Amino acid sequence: MAKRIRKISYVRCRGGSPLLEGIDRASLPGNCSEILQLFPNGINKCRYGCLGGGSCEAACHLAAIRVEDGGPPVIDREKCVGCGLCVRVCPQNLIEIILPDRNIQPKCSSRDTGKAARDACGNSCITCRICEKVCPAEAIHIEDGRPVIDPAECICCGMCAVKCPRGVIRDSNGIMTVD
Amino acid sequence: MTDTAEEVRTISYTLTVNGIERTVEDNKPLLRYLRDDLKLYSVKDGCSEGACGTCTIVVDGFAVKACVLTTERAAGKNIITVEGLSLREKEAFVYAFGTAGSVQCGFCIPGMVMAGKALIDRNPDPTEEDIKKAIRGNVCRCTGYKKIINGIRRAAAILRGEVEIKPISQFTGKMMPEQNEFISVVGSGYDPGRASGIANYENRGSSSQYGMGQNVFRIDVRKKVLGYGKYPDDIGPEYFVPADRPDLIMEQTGWTQEEYDAAAAEGRLEPGKTICRKDEPLCNICTIVDPDMPPMAYCSAVRSEYPRAIVKKIHKEKAESLPGVLGVLTAEDVPHNKVGHIQQDWDVMIAEGDITRMTGDAICLVVAESPYILEAAKKAVKVEYEPLEPVRNIAEAKAEGAPLIHESGNLCQQRHVVRGDAAKALAESAFTVTSSFSTPFTEHAFLEPECAVSFPYGDGVKILSTDQGAYDTRHETSIMFGWEDTPERIVVENQLIGGGFGGKEDVTTQHLSALAAVKFHRPVKMKFSRSESLRVHPKRHAMEGTFTLGCDENGILTGLDCEINFDTGAYASLCGPVLERACTHSVGPYNYHNTDIRGFGYYTNNPPAGAFRGFGVCQSQFALESLMNVLAKKVGISPWEIRYRNAIEPGLELPNGQIADVSTALKETLVAVKPYFDDAPEDRVGIACAMKNAGVGVGLPDKGRARIEVENGLVWIFTAASDIGQGCQTVFIQDVSQATGLPITKIWIGVSNTENAPNSGTTSGSRQTLVTGEAVRGAALLLKKAMDEEGVTEETLDRLNGRKFEYEYFEPTDRLGSDKPHPKSHIAYGYATNVAVLDAEGRVTDIYAAFDAGKVVNPLSMSGQIEGGVLMSMGYALTESWPLRDCVPTARYGTLGLLRSTDIPDLHAIHVEKDKLLDASYGAKGVGEITSIPAAPAIAGAYYAKDGVLRTKLPIENTFYSKKKK
Repeated sequence: MAKRIRKISYVRCRGGSPLLEGIDRASLPGNCSEILQLFPNGINKCRYGCLGGGSCEAACHLAAIRVEDGGPPVIDREKCVGCGLCVRVCPQNLIEIILPDRNIQPKCSSRDTGKAARDACGNSCITCRICEKVCPAEAIHIEDGRPVIDPAECICCGMCAVKCPRGVIRDSNGIMTVD
Repeated sequence: MTDTAEEVRTISYTLTVNGIERTVEDNKPLLRYLRDDLKLYSVKDGCSEGACGTCTIVVDGFAVKACVLTTERAAGKNIITVEGLSLREKEAFVYAFGTAGSVQCGFCIPGMVMAGKALIDRNPDPTEEDIKKAIRGNVCRCTGYKKIINGIRRAAAILRGEVEIKPISQFTGKMMPEQNEFISVVGSGYDPGRASGIANYENRGSSSQYGMGQNVFRIDVRKKVLGYGKYPDDIGPEYFVPADRPDLIMEQTGWTQEEYDAAAAEGRLEPGKTICRKDEPLCNICTIVDPDMPPMAYCSAVRSEYPRAIVKKIHKEKAESLPGVLGVLTAEDVPHNKVGHIQQDWDVMIAEGDITRMTGDAICLVVAESPYILEAAKKAVKVEYEPLEPVRNIAEAKAEGAPLIHESGNLCQQRHVVRGDAAKALAESAFTVTSSFSTPFTEHAFLEPECAVSFPYGDGVKILSTDQGAYDTRHETSIMFGWEDTPERIVVENQLIGGGFGGKEDVTTQHLSALAAVKFHRPVKMKFSRSESLRVHPKRHAMEGTFTLGCDENGILTGLDCEINFDTGAYASLCGPVLERACTHSVGPYNYHNTDIRGFGYYTNNPPAGAFRGFGVCQSQFALESLMNVLAKKVGISPWEIRYRNAIEPGLELPNGQIADVSTALKETLVAVKPYFDDAPEDRVGIACAMKNAGVGVGLPDKGRARIEVENGLVWIFTAASDIGQGCQTVFIQDVSQATGLPITKIWIGVSNTENAPNSGTTSGSRQTLVTGEAVRGAALLLKKAMDEEGVTEETLDRLNGRKFEYEYFEPTDRLGSDKPHPKSHIAYGYATNVAVLDAEGRVTDIYAAFDAGKVVNPLSMSGQIEGGVLMSMGYALTESWPLRDCVPTARYGTLGLLRSTDIPDLHAIHVEKDKLLDASYGAKGVGEITSIPAAPAIAGAYYAKDGVLRTKLPIENTFYSKKKK
């Protein structure tokens, strides 16, 4: 009998986009959907990123996800069981369930490209496509302005993480990239 | 901005490597730092692009590819390579990998060891699934992964203290259950109980049971696992030591002053002499050179940008003016500008004014002091081209008015094989089926890219090489130098060979590095980058063929008519013999006698095609076996039944007229797989048979030669027969052990070297175990005779010191088209039946692979050959491709579709050994090539059973595996 395969949550945003002018973080509600109702275009220069409202933290039964200083959330990889509750409450669709041994993962969900993406956030994918060029397995592609890895093809070599000029693609083992 | 420059210089990175803190000033790939600066040669360079896994090391506890990480990013990290494992870990992996049979060519092995170590450190008791995942980024092309997975599991058990490392003299019991590779053995003469002991070469045990049928610990395990064995790329500048530097010699060898003095007194330190490791006379450490010899240089070719273009002008002045560049050689510098394995049609370099034939063509050869200068100089060479329309495929090559790729025309080779009257037989058949088939080019994807190091030697040059025939390389290179009358001026010595599969028969780096070494009078290394390797060496031929097969109402085959068209690309390579084998084997191992087979090999501007494991037969038997299934359906019998009804038996006439010999065991292989075929759901199982010649045959002088010398009470075998990972050197030692009763502790084998070992032909055509094996046996029997006559025993071998025993084996065969009623085309044939089983989704879950290879010499090794060959065949069936865009290869190593550890089905190797065997080589027929033939049609057959769609194209379409690809 095969054991149940352990999975965990992964947040595809590193934060880093400045708040829009006139937004006061302290006055925002503690729920991302409510934030989005008040500010349909988001609160950061990047409209695709984490709102930092803490809905995911509130949803988690295991205290495996924490949002501090306006996010993005940090997953406790030991505690998380990949139940998917946080995935459901994130209105920005930033959280995905992955296999924990797939250590190379993109950490940006911006749909902006090029200069717009660069202007919006210091940690954004600028769709330069270097990752596509250096990937030996043709496993990573820019789709809708952000890198997407095909887990069936990826061999987790980390070449994309090492070559990414923006540090968007991360190594959760902390070897190819250091957080 | 001088201050910035200074600032740059002061940046440095500190990292710990194998427990020693190191500081490095350049930011470069960690792989280059570990190999070039620290000389940690266990960290292999298989692709330098993150795809192959041969450079896997452990960084802060994680398995990481050293080519991906940089020295900058490695700063502050703790790095371990195989060299830095603890003694306990080293011994665990050597023993585990040796007893599990994990090691073949060995090039992937240090990376596998480190991936295994990282896993075991985190999870001391990993499951098979855990291990598969842990080595998913590590490609192995030899083993089919199964034995590597077993090896890592066993290493974990040893490190947990649950399995003991046993010196073999104490090891008398049966192998551990998971080690028992035989799931069934057919034939009365075989007793698996006899094949239970593992002979540990290294522990120098006292047992003499190392002969035929024993699971012998291969002789190359330790040096391959621990990474100190030398492939040519592991020869760095430090390998060449000036004769006037005793300090360097002592440093390299670890000798004391006394040992140095003794070696000097014995004349072992003259220029040209090679020194081996103290504890292992088979592992070279360094070569002594003249004191005034400059250090090793590096060369690389600028290759054509176009498959077909006129080379208008080569601007090399700028490159030549760069500091550190020795020169740029062009066709003018080559004494005779043609090489070629059989037909000399391959330009060493394309001269100004000439037309390129493929993108892999060399235009000029840049020689420089360092690899870095070399790359810069290559970029500085500007070539003016006039691009021409290329010839893309067979149809374009055949078209009227097609440009001629060679002066002789675009038809490179043709064969016509006829017996009986196929047209009449087919016309009178109850059932016939006709279909066209198309199979792709396939890349060998051996883990070790081509590399050679050459240096001036005597009045010529010595080439340290990785290839499938040292004498072939000498011959081809002698043609280039115009030294055909004095080929001995060139000495070729094989180093370890990181896989070949047919792709290392032609010269690639050897002749060019030799040219540079002679021109600049210094050692020169030439190493292919992975992309260069993919572009240059010959592939498996792409085939377009039409086959018509007929049978009577009982499914008895009546006749075959077929036309086979091969795309041989830019050069002939081995087109002639490969096409011939495709034709002669297209009939399959069946008892019918009306055949009309026409074969054509066309030049195109694609990369060349030549030898590849299976040698043309993978293509033609895929077509034939697929049509067998259609006929079975028409007749209303099972795919197993139609094969059994037609199977060849001893004494019957093969379709080529040769009488099947006593060892023929096709029916036994069919019987062996029958229970698995019957047990599987009818609509998810496929079956295919195969036959494959052993030995070159067809009237050619295919000789095996061996010499045995007794020296210091030890027996030395000398024979120039390349061990490309299949394990023939261990086979030869078993031959001698069997003939003489000596333990393998007394038997050593020299490297394949044209200076001191007799020519025993190419590692091709599954011939080394049989042809060279028989030569070794012959020489060993002469030794045995001398021992008996003079009353010499194992303990008193010293009395034969200085004696030599030579033997040449040659069994004539008949040429193709011989008018004899029963021509003997080949000295032996191997037979096989494979059964492939799918699950409901179409995933291959099991392959039952029964092979008749005559006497099973080393069961563990044979299972390894089977598992590796079968997985290669599965890749051929389902995932591997070699796409070309207007003759330009577009694939990279990581996108070839090579199956990885997580993709493998359960591979069940079945050894079929009859009680009646051939006389030569204790009845062993070899198994190397046939392993890669039947699985592909068996898998295609399973899909045919599943959905009734006849697959006529490889890789087959609409499968579980094609879904994965976008």
